Amino acid sequence: MSNQRFPTVKIRELKNDYCKFELRDTDASIANALRRVMIAEVPTVAIDLVEIEVNSSVLNDEFIAHRLGLIPLTSERAMSMRFSRDCDACDGDGQCDYCSVEFHLRAKCIGDQTLDVTSRELISSDATVVPVDSADSGYDNLENRGIIIVKLRRGQELRLRAIARKGIGKDHAKWSPAATVTFMYEPDIYINEDMMEKLSLEKKLEIIESSPTKVFGIDENTGRFIVVDPEAYTYDDEVLKKCEALDMPGLIEIRPKEDTFIFTVESTGAIKASQLVLNAIDILKQKLDVVRLSEDTVEADDQFGELGAHMRGG
Amino acid sequence: MVSNGDLVDQPQWAGVDKEFLAAPVKSAVDKFQLLPEFLKVRGLVKQHLDSFNYFVNTEIKKIVAANNEIRSQVDPKLYLRYKDVRIGEPSRMVDYVTEKLTPQKCRISDITYAAPILVNIEYTTGSGNSLKVQEKRELTIGRMPIMLRSSCCALYGKDEEELASLGECPLDPGGYFVIKGTEKVILIQEQLSKNRIIIDTDKKGCVQASVTSSTAATKSKTVIRMEKEKIYLYLNQFKTKVPIMAVMKAMGMESDQEVVQMVGRDPRYSALLLPSIEECAKANVYTQHQALEYLEKQVKPLPYASTRTEKRASSILRDIFIANVPVHDNNFRAKCIYVAVMLRRMMEAILNKDAMDDKDYVGNKRLELSGQLLSLLFEDLFKTMNDESKKLIDTVLGKPNRSSLFDMSKYIVRDSITVGLERTLSTGNWDVKRFRMHRKGMTQVVARLSYIGTVGHMTKISPQFEKSRKVSGPRALQPSQWGMLCPCDTPEGEACGLVKNLALMTHVTTDDEEGPIISLCYCLGVEDLELLSGEELHMPNSYLIMLNGLILGKHRKPQRFATAMRKLRRAGKIGEFVSIFVNEKQHCVYIASDGGRVCRPLVIADKGVSRIKEHHMKELKDGVRTFDTFLREGLIEYLDVNEENNALIALYEGEATEETTHIEIEPFTILGVCAGLIPYPHHNQSPRNTYQCAMGKQAMGNIAYNQLCRMDTLLYLLVYPQRPLLTTRTIELVGYDKLGAGQNATVAVMSYSGYDIEDAIVMNKSSLDRGFGRCIVMKKMVALSQKYENGASDRIICPPREGYEAERMQILDDDGIAAPGEIIRTHDIYINKQSPTVTRGAPAPNLPDSKYKPSRQTYKGPEGETAVLDRVALCTDRNNNMNIKFMVRHTRRPEVGDKFSSRHGQKGVCGTIIQQEDFPFSERGICPDLIMNPHGFPSRMTVGKMIELLGSKAGVSSGRFHYGSAFGEPSGHADKVEVISETLVKHGFSYNGKDFIYSGITGLPLQAYIFMGPIYYQKLKHMVLDKMHARGSGPRVMLTRQPTEGRSKNGGLRVGEMERDCLIAYGASMLIYERLMISSDPFEVKVCRKCGLLGYHNYKLKADVCSTCKNGDNISTMKLPYACKLLIQSLSDEAHAFSGGL
Repeated sequence: MSNQRFPTVKIRELKNDYCKFELRDTDASIANALRRVMIAEVPTVAIDLVEIEVNSSVLNDEFIAHRLGLIPLTSERAMSMRFSRDCDACDGDGQCDYCSVEFHLRAKCIGDQTLDVTSRELISSDATVVPVDSADSGYDNLENRGIIIVKLRRGQELRLRAIARKGIGKDHAKWSPAATVTFMYEPDIYINEDMMEKLSLEKKLEIIESSPTKVFGIDENTGRFIVVDPEAYTYDDEVLKKCEALDMPGLIEIRPKEDTFIFTVESTGAIKASQLVLNAIDILKQKLDVVRLSEDTVEADDQFGELGAHMRGG
Repeated sequence: MVSNGDLVDQPQWAGVDKEFLAAPVKSAVDKFQLLPEFLKVRGLVKQHLDSFNYFVNTEIKKIVAANNEIRSQVDPKLYLRYKDVRIGEPSRMVDYVTEKLTPQKCRISDITYAAPILVNIEYTTGSGNSLKVQEKRELTIGRMPIMLRSSCCALYGKDEEELASLGECPLDPGGYFVIKGTEKVILIQEQLSKNRIIIDTDKKGCVQASVTSSTAATKSKTVIRMEKEKIYLYLNQFKTKVPIMAVMKAMGMESDQEVVQMVGRDPRYSALLLPSIEECAKANVYTQHQALEYLEKQVKPLPYASTRTEKRASSILRDIFIANVPVHDNNFRAKCIYVAVMLRRMMEAILNKDAMDDKDYVGNKRLELSGQLLSLLFEDLFKTMNDESKKLIDTVLGKPNRSSLFDMSKYIVRDSITVGLERTLSTGNWDVKRFRMHRKGMTQVVARLSYIGTVGHMTKISPQFEKSRKVSGPRALQPSQWGMLCPCDTPEGEACGLVKNLALMTHVTTDDEEGPIISLCYCLGVEDLELLSGEELHMPNSYLIMLNGLILGKHRKPQRFATAMRKLRRAGKIGEFVSIFVNEKQHCVYIASDGGRVCRPLVIADKGVSRIKEHHMKELKDGVRTFDTFLREGLIEYLDVNEENNALIALYEGEATEETTHIEIEPFTILGVCAGLIPYPHHNQSPRNTYQCAMGKQAMGNIAYNQLCRMDTLLYLLVYPQRPLLTTRTIELVGYDKLGAGQNATVAVMSYSGYDIEDAIVMNKSSLDRGFGRCIVMKKMVALSQKYENGASDRIICPPREGYEAERMQILDDDGIAAPGEIIRTHDIYINKQSPTVTRGAPAPNLPDSKYKPSRQTYKGPEGETAVLDRVALCTDRNNNMNIKFMVRHTRRPEVGDKFSSRHGQKGVCGTIIQQEDFPFSERGICPDLIMNPHGFPSRMTVGKMIELLGSKAGVSSGRFHYGSAFGEPSGHADKVEVISETLVKHGFSYNGKDFIYSGITGLPLQAYIFMGPIYYQKLKHMVLDKMHARGSGPRVMLTRQPTEGRSKNGGLRVGEMERDCLIAYGASMLIYERLMISSDPFEVKVCRKCGLLGYHNYKLKADVCSTCKNGDNISTMKLPYACKLLIQSLSDEAHAFSGGL
């Protein structure tokens, strides 16, 4: 019973909407489950119902509604919110605070200049759920205009009421908090030093050049062929092919470490990237909690050991 | 082609000039900048505009001048004369006030965009001896539909801002008409050239020379054919064929020797002519008088035998026989020489089959454009109008006592021209009796499905033959098509190869004055025909000079003559579109200035050195030069297909040799507008490009800047159209980058899910959520509030707010018309209209409510889908009825079964939609929008698509649009794959475009590298929602009681003959029974077992009766299809008793 592993996470880089970490001592199924949950099952809040009062813009109502839906809203509260479909306080029509947030938008162009209606003009009824402000992200955004919803010309007007609800990315991509979630196997690069020493400098440079990404290099001090950045390797096999072309198979060997994953998570801004990972783990746990042994499984009770107790809700 | 035998035993490279190969490549001047400049002055549809402008400014004046007088037959002193004619501004009269028209106004309110035809007239008034000549200016005789963007149009010369204020799209090419609110384009018509000798063979293989003559006065077809060694003339006016020698004699060529001399003294020619001469002698025709008498007998009698028909032979020969050769003072010499030339060319063709003319050769074709067609129509209508006016004037004058002062100008019939032009343009049927012209389908409604479709429609050429002809010749690609007609853009199926499209730089000429050219020719040493004897005509070394099919004379130094003419043309002394073509084989110099020839601009080269130098292009860039300056300074000239044969055209400057006379401007201009959208078309298998040309017209996107202000019957728009990442020069030139019809999708070429077989594509659900392939479909609905002859009219009333049917009228406003912005479902009423029950008879001004019956209109849309009422427009139509137009908008996201296509003829339907987390991803986090099966590649061979993927991928990573113009690699208009690969490597991708990908389902890496990158995908108009259809039970046809047919009538799916045969063969008798009867039209009948005829059930007696046997003893009940019962009864009605074998 000692096949049990204890996956570890090592955070490499952490920003508000970006996170890079290593996941060690586990396998692809766990890593992928985590990835899939981050994309599709971590809940956020997004505009779901739009009631248009006045729309004399060039874009039609559905068009604007679709654009509104895709605006990321800050969703720290989303985990504790209710899905409107199982909200007891209301019929899911967005009238209660447990499951929905109301927004208002009023814009009219009166000047000769084109007026950009942006996500900043969406007025929320709840201070915790507001359109994501890209100014917070740390990127230098001088104009800092928010997300453009529609442009208005003189005399055009847009007035609407929108209701944001909790949802998950599986239902619609607008509820997905993840912009990018991806992982890669950590490459394990082995250089046969004996063979490498026999090579001339030009040949070494040739090998370095053959890789489209900067994986290898020459140590400036020792002049040795070294691995500069193993993670730059994209499993393109170009270096291996080059070695074969040089008639030196086995000069470099690269294998993916099948139990180590390097995750890159970028968030839309709805929740922090770190929170996204934590929420995903939470949701995974909740999913596992649902799995329980049925009541009538008696005879094989002890063969599950501790697991059995857990699954029975112990 | 090198075809000499002494090369055989030499090595292959022996013929190659090594020195030439080793020579340094001449630096090429980038001439591309000429193209946008060319299109700036020319626009995309210059051919239409030029033709119409020529008609409106020149031709119409000629027509009016030729028929300028109406003279009364009753009093010949009374006349009306047209002094001048011009077309006014587009306008219309509303309540005696002139209102200016704009095209947009006409489109919206269903009126014709037309301008008055204004004439200045001079006419006599008074009677007897007190005649006075009066003048009237600017009298309207009718209204001429105006081509958009022509010189008469309100949009002419307007800049972008002014166009916008007129509600017009600046990218719209114009070149069409607005007739009763619909946009109509007159298709370019392909014709065999007029007034030219064409040598070919008839069905039996006899060699013939034919001339289709067309002059202002007459049109005729003359055929001279060699049959059984003898030569005959075929002319409609003769009963039978006529020996050609008799015709020659009738025209005064009495001496056989002179004829032989004229044809040429080659003994072979005389030998061929001998049988004809003998035949003529046998018929005892020696003198002119005898010949004329002989011909007189052959003349077809006129249908209404006029009293005296003598001298007809002579007049036929003068006016109808090769009518294009004029006869002055009964001097037939020119005609004789023309016949001799025809004979000579025939004999050449007999002796040497190569001399035969090719009817499919583009140089022998003319393109008839809207101007020419309209001028024919106008001429006919104008003459008819004059005749009518004359009749009217005569009847008025014929009356014994008139009360008012006679004013001739009042009797001009104004309506016939307006109505005639409008009707012809809207139906497209050219029925001009005067010119024996009956053509159908000349106009079409402008395709507004996509912007490219619209532009492509303007360049479409409709064929001269009917589509049914099963010959391959006219359908094949002609080498002479190079640069003039697009080699790719032709439909598939029956019209394949017949319907063509113009290439990007093609220009179609309009008529040019002949007079100055003729006098110029004589100045340059052309010897007049009159001064030449037959013998001198065909002297070796001397060439005949032909102008538009007419023999002007001969010249002893043709090459020098041609060079001189060309020099004059380049200097601008004669028209830039006049072509000079030296035909060495026929010993002729052909000069052409007629309209309808296709030509294209080329850079002139002197001994292989381009005249355009670097500094010229710099000046162009600085704006000092325009395309016209290039033309005027003789750096560029237009060549037509014939003159191209005298030129040696180098593709690139570097390839030019000593003999090169011209250099192409850009090779990709051989393609048309539609084919120009394809990136790297030169890497594709050719049919794929043809398919894309057809599909590009069905792609959704934006159709015009004013698309939302228009009221199209059907409008497909893409929600987020994009500009292709991989563009071509043509895309930028035609404005496809501004009105795109597609989106850049990241495509992974791999197999996935099994729902991607047979070209189906797998789509990413999240991409669809985010707006990929989302489209808006708008449909127009029209309601008419009519006024009737008894003064009653329809009324639109406030809907009931409760009660029965109120639910269906929820979207109606209080005015009874649906409100814009409302959500509309199928069966909803969108207008609460009521019509009076009585519409005829006595005036009934105020009707009570009971006299109205409801005539509401309901919306029929897909079940379960909701649409939105986008706009409502009210306008008055021509009959002063109120016209209410509704636009219904439906936004759709792609679903399984919707059709998509890349720009390489690779269409496919959406096979399945899959969650993003299940989609494969790369370690950069790139996840494809759609997955395409790799089996699409090997058999299609669309390498261009692969290069597009590479180029787009490099484009997104480097932030620069890449180019893929046709044949563009040498001139830098297409990025080379090597360069693209370098860019990819620089940005950390593999050079071959393949990525290392993880499965989204398992998280494990895929076994293979996946070719992945952006490809421009088009959403095509074919969507499942419009096509899907199923029915359980439903409506039936009244007559047969069988289910209806067709989706629109919610019809059933037919078990046809072949399906039935399958079931019979399988032995599934019960299934057939069920399908053909129980589920179709079961019926119960009473049959008499004795007589076998149908009986009936008598409800009074409650018994079954046989009406033949007069009893009910032997009645049985049976089931049979109602259609069968119907047949039996119909047959028995026809007195064929039908008895069942019971």
